[in-house]
Amino acid sequence: MEKAKIKSTQLFVLIVLFEMGSALVVGIGTDAKQDAWITVLLGLAGGICLFLIYAKLFLYYPDVPLTSYIQKITGKFIGRILGFLYVIYFMYLSARVLRDFGELLTTTIYSSTPLLIINALMVLTIVYAVYKGFEVIARVGELYFALVYCIALLGFMLIMFSGLVHMENLRPILENGWMPILKITLGQTLNFPFGEMNVFTMLLPYLNEPKKVKRVCIGGMILSGLNITIATVINIASLGVPLFERSPFPLLSTVSKISLANFIERLDVFFMLYLMVGGFFKITLFFYAAVIGTSDLFGLKDYKKICFPMGLIILFASLSIASNYAEHIKEGIIIVPIFLHWPFQIIVPVGLLIIAFFRNRKKQLIN
Amino acid sequence: MKMFLALFLLLFSILPVLSGCWNQKELTDLAFVMALGVDKGKNHRFDVAFQIVNPGNVSAGQGQGGGGLPIAVYKSSGDTLTEAARNAALKVSRRLYYAHCNLLVIGEKLAKEGILDIFDALERDPGFRTTTEIVIARDSTAEELVTTLTILDKLPVSKVTKELQTSEDMLGETLKVNIDDFITSLVSKGKQPLITGYSVIGDKKIADNSQNLQITTTKAFLSANGIGLFRKGKLIGWINGYKARGAVWVLNKVSGTDVNIDWNGKKNAINVTPLRSRTKVSAKIKNGKPMINVVIKEESIISEINTNADISNPNEIAKIEKKVGKVIKSQVIEVIKEAQNKKCDIFGFGEKVHLANPKLWKRIQNNWDEQFSETKVFVTVKPYQRRSGVRRNPFWNELKQ
Repeated sequence: MEKAKIKSTQLFVLIVLFEMGSALVVGIGTDAKQDAWITVLLGLAGGICLFLIYAKLFLYYPDVPLTSYIQKITGKFIGRILGFLYVIYFMYLSARVLRDFGELLTTTIYSSTPLLIINALMVLTIVYAVYKGFEVIARVGELYFALVYCIALLGFMLIMFSGLVHMENLRPILENGWMPILKITLGQTLNFPFGEMNVFTMLLPYLNEPKKVKRVCIGGMILSGLNITIATVINIASLGVPLFERSPFPLLSTVSKISLANFIERLDVFFMLYLMVGGFFKITLFFYAAVIGTSDLFGLKDYKKICFPMGLIILFASLSIASNYAEHIKEGIIIVPIFLHWPFQIIVPVGLLIIAFFRNRKKQLIN
Repeated sequence: MKMFLALFLLLFSILPVLSGCWNQKELTDLAFVMALGVDKGKNHRFDVAFQIVNPGNVSAGQGQGGGGLPIAVYKSSGDTLTEAARNAALKVSRRLYYAHCNLLVIGEKLAKEGILDIFDALERDPGFRTTTEIVIARDSTAEELVTTLTILDKLPVSKVTKELQTSEDMLGETLKVNIDDFITSLVSKGKQPLITGYSVIGDKKIADNSQNLQITTTKAFLSANGIGLFRKGKLIGWINGYKARGAVWVLNKVSGTDVNIDWNGKKNAINVTPLRSRTKVSAKIKNGKPMINVVIKEESIISEINTNADISNPNEIAKIEKKVGKVIKSQVIEVIKEAQNKKCDIFGFGEKVHLANPKLWKRIQNNWDEQFSETKVFVTVKPYQRRSGVRRNPFWNELKQ
């Protein structure tokens, strides 16, 4: 851990940027057709419940990150193994998001540039940010939060004024009942993006007012959740269900439909700007958590030394985790939630909380 | 010195990354495709005509640029659209660039055989915009359409796209349909796509000749001509004139048009022009069978009276309203009947049934074409006569005294 302290507003901003990150880009819950927005809201509710677990754990051990208190809770040996697995989990996720980001750019505008080059440039920026420390990342977050909201508001108004939104596309609501929606919520939206809040178990100790943690984090989750819901509703309303399902990047399709007075059109660059910012923060936070976790587990005094080598690992992992985009998405929807998200986001934290509860009660009884 | 060297090395190593010239395309190396004409091919499946803008001859520089033709058309063929586009490289010196393509023209022959094979290429390509509008070259080939030169608008493409817009606003007998719209209604089980037809009228032989630009009444010109009905991606028929307008009316796309009514025993004596119109289509289920309600509300002004009439009397206005309503209703009913005869639900009634009763829809959706032809459709028109221009009663009233 480095010596850094961030304000609660900075944490709030980081959470919003992180949660919206790639969720807005790839579009979530598309399998639920016109009810995708319901799965987002349900996912948000579930995500808040999950976060309460993480917050409780944090309040038991407010000064150390997950990789440290996991050792205090389960003992040194098991704790270290679990901590190490968490580090790998965070690294894998940052590589995943990096791949998402690179795939999008190569399919849309940089159609003949190799993925390696685009990802390498992004990794360089991220390694630099992490090298500079968490306070810097938080400050950059504040800056870009304003930018993202300006773009989002402008984009929202342009979509409205172009007359793209046809609310009847959202009907009939609940055509196939609740079952498929619950399935998609538990398998997809709960874990991505809301369950990914577990990366903040590594970052919460930096908050200068630990008491505010619940208010700030849940506030940030709700704001980003509502933003994603609005974006999903607009996507469905302006694309219609079939096109919404066929688009790998629904928001891009929506934005490229904007046409106002025959000269404000082809605004894909808005989306690209957002993508850079959102992708940057999501990858950076995952990467930072992985770096801090490693230095914490192996007792390194200065985490900065491992930034660059770990950046290289992520870069090559992002290229090798899948051989094509279809494989990448299939893994993300089928394998990752069951074998990675559920254990790391839900099962392990719940187990930790139960053990921590009994340990701390024992302590209190002794005192 | 060491510091300086390190800095120099760093800057130098960043240089190739920052230049952003991975696959740069200079403007002078690009050929901007403005319109794409796809025909049934002779040797291959498709004959494709690329209408390319000739930038030097379009710019509005005074005196200059008037010399040559504003467009150049290249032809190529292939069994798929992409193959045809790549084959074009044999003939075009520049790289074809599609981001500014505004119009897709499909030949009638190809349309009759089915056009499903061309749409995925257009939708999938990241450079091609799905907001590109589609028209069918009626009674002619797509190639003839994209080679025709036009006056007033230097670029034939902007003539067609502007005209689609204007005639939707002023006349209501054409529809702007872009690639997204087409595919959306294509995959929908409760709606069939429509595409406006365009024809080259006049002497087709000189349509692509600069002579055509030297006369005020051009010998060959482009004109919108009816709306084509599609089923399963195949053109199955045309609706023309006021029937086309009826269809546009049901689709809630009419903003301006005109209606003639008889008055005082004189035919087409009064003309009114609707200003605003709003159509609501809803479905009801009765005895397990869907029924469709079409309600058209329109506001209009009187634009012409060629007989004596007392329009200062609100009762007379009410009578005019009633007659206008009847005329519109008959036009709409006629097109609905025609669509029902052809078993082609161009109005999206099926989608309304889907909204009204998803369960029933699941049962009947695969048989909707049949069901549609037997579905009862009720049309209600609510016309409102608002104003009558800058005169009260017409001069005819004084003539007859």
